[in-house]
Amino acid sequence: MIFLFIIIPLLLASLMPLVGKISKRFLPDLLANATMLFLLVFSVIYAKPLIAKGGVLQQVFWFGAPLNIRLLVDGFSLFMLFTISLVSLAVTLYSIDYMEHYGAKANYYALLLLMIAGMNGLVLATDLFNIYLFLEVAAVASYALVAFGLGQDELEASFKYLMLSAVASAFILLSIAIIFGLTGGVGFGAVAAGLKMLNVKYVVGFCSALFVMGFGLKAAIVPFHSWLPDAHPSAPAPISAMLSGVLIKVSGVYAMMRIFLNVFGLTPPLTTVLSVLGIVSIFVGALAAIGQNDIKRMLAYSSISQIGYVVLGFAIGTPLGILGGLFHLFNHAIFKSLLFLNAGAVEQSTGTRSLDKMGGLAKRMPLTAATSVVASLSIAGVPPLNGFWSKLLIIMALVQAKMYVLAFLAVLGSVITLWYYLVLQRNAFFGKLNETWKAVREAPFWMSASTVMLALLCIVTGLLFPLIIKSWLQPAADILSGGVGVALNFLGF
Amino acid sequence: MNNFWILNMGAVALLIGIGIYCLLTMKNMVKLLIGIEIIAKGITLALVATGLAKNNLLLAQSLVISVIVVDVAVIATALAIIININRHTKSLDVRKLTKLKG
Amino acid sequence: MIGLVVFSILSVLIRDLLKAAISLAVASIFLAIIFFRMNAAYAGVFEVSVVAGLITVLFITAIALTRSDEQVRESKYHLFIFPLFFVALIIIDILVMKNLLGRIPAITSPETGTFGEVLWKERSFDLIGQIGVIFAGVLAVLALFRPRSKSPQGDKHE
Repeated sequence: MIFLFIIIPLLLASLMPLVGKISKRFLPDLLANATMLFLLVFSVIYAKPLIAKGGVLQQVFWFGAPLNIRLLVDGFSLFMLFTISLVSLAVTLYSIDYMEHYGAKANYYALLLLMIAGMNGLVLATDLFNIYLFLEVAAVASYALVAFGLGQDELEASFKYLMLSAVASAFILLSIAIIFGLTGGVGFGAVAAGLKMLNVKYVVGFCSALFVMGFGLKAAIVPFHSWLPDAHPSAPAPISAMLSGVLIKVSGVYAMMRIFLNVFGLTPPLTTVLSVLGIVSIFVGALAAIGQNDIKRMLAYSSISQIGYVVLGFAIGTPLGILGGLFHLFNHAIFKSLLFLNAGAVEQSTGTRSLDKMGGLAKRMPLTAATSVVASLSIAGVPPLNGFWSKLLIIMALVQAKMYVLAFLAVLGSVITLWYYLVLQRNAFFGKLNETWKAVREAPFWMSASTVMLALLCIVTGLLFPLIIKSWLQPAADILSGGVGVALNFLGF
Repeated sequence: MNNFWILNMGAVALLIGIGIYCLLTMKNMVKLLIGIEIIAKGITLALVATGLAKNNLLLAQSLVISVIVVDVAVIATALAIIININRHTKSLDVRKLTKLKG
Repeated sequence: MIGLVVFSILSVLIRDLLKAAISLAVASIFLAIIFFRMNAAYAGVFEVSVVAGLITVLFITAIALTRSDEQVRESKYHLFIFPLFFVALIIIDILVMKNLLGRIPAITSPETGTFGEVLWKERSFDLIGQIGVIFAGVLAVLALFRPRSKSPQGDKHE
């Protein structure tokens, strides 16, 4: 019944406009949050024993008769489902208070649930074309969500995002068409088997290049990152958290890694290209973040930088590197969404996103400041919080693979990250209290609850990281390290 | 692969090239959407031509139908955004969208 | 096929939006004819009814709903640059394709021999995806066109 992950958000999304007519605020809030909580608990309790033996293909039943859909449940997809549900729960909790002044809450929840359904579907797909299809579901929902406030900034950002994203989807689709031509099938198993039999390195290289361009844009890797600094600041804060925290990871990194590691097989040219792109992303993101005045824009550039770390970890290809990449993916989902939610709280209380105008907010908004400090220290890689361990794993993997230059550069990037986050904290929260903000209040209850939950999670993950690695990350890493064999073994249908 | 597939793929490349040219140079927002539409046509042609060459037309057609449906949703959303932008800036010029910088 | 390419070029180069949308529709009809000749009847029908029909209607509605105060001036040099670009594109295209002729091997895949209806059983996951996308589009349009209560939201952003 892993199918519930897709069906429940989908059904709820379709019913949400009707529910919105009945009760403007209470019922949509309640339903959306209850759903997210249910999915989160479900993913932990029910699905965990399923993957004990490797991966499983679940047959979907509809009232007893089998539909012809098979869903892929293995370590990697389950790990992503858990991450998606976690961040979504935090976001829906936060939205209870934040979306009050946008209006049309039922519509907002409907689009958000559709985006989540799309992401869940992508993660559970067994087929190249299904990945594309659910990618588009989540993308269309996100275009509307970025433009939700209907102000000119948001519309402009959404339009640019839409244009670039549509071109990226076209590249992905073209690549799928060529692969369909080469192997005669679209499913993972069929493609993997077909590619093994052929010897068409150039064409496969061309398709891989198209995939890197397409999924790289979705994941906001340099040089395909230009939409991110515009789209993330203008979107409502919970949507920025969703986009930066999960969407770029699921539609970009997950899809790319699933295809490259399990279907194509990681070849040395691919490793080189991805590592270079990763390192360049780390630096471009970090350097651009330093000069920013707008708090959310700085966070957006920081996302580009951290995704560079994740891609770098995966590109190394060794089990340790993959483990580091996965852990950093999870960590970044948590602390980046936490940072965006905090920025939203600050924006709602003070009415500005400009760091120049802020100052000394810690005295008036202690909870927000405290959680923000936790998140900033985590993302900068300060022990014993979670960011430190994931970056350490990636750097260790680089050293192990004898890429010493890259390891040094990664450490350098981490130092720069620490620097600009300290600047952020000092300008926004500490220092002298700016006179204008004498009367601001702390963020409303649900917003604070959600941010405190995420901050606690940062601390707990940091302290208990061996446990987390063994129970959650190792199965996922094994699946990915298994390489093409995984696709051939149990997907050959 | 036979020559027919190569010929079709050549046409696909042409269409995509035209679409990209449109995206790169046109300044009218609706024209940009036309450019995306042309690229989508190229992709559907690629899918059907590949299906023909592999003798698996039914699979190719189902893929094409899904792609066309997705295309409709994207174009509808894009047009909605353009109409809203037009309410703000009263023009359809992409060069007017310069409020976000850096 | 020549018709398809010609009309696509026309829809890009024509200045008047309405005529461009119509030439896009004509290009769709040519594409549908190509599909029919390839024996892909379903794709052809879908292409005509949806792309040449629904999307063209959407375009024309959008063009009707938007007022442009001044005509968007495209540069005149399009008429010179584009032919150069196009010819270069064709030359590169022919060279690349000739190169690939020998390289791509053929895999014969089994003949499925089933009807379109039965095929939907195999790609049922796609159906769910399509339903999702349609919902997303509908909800997006609903959300973007909702009646706006005048909120001081617009001044908050810098």
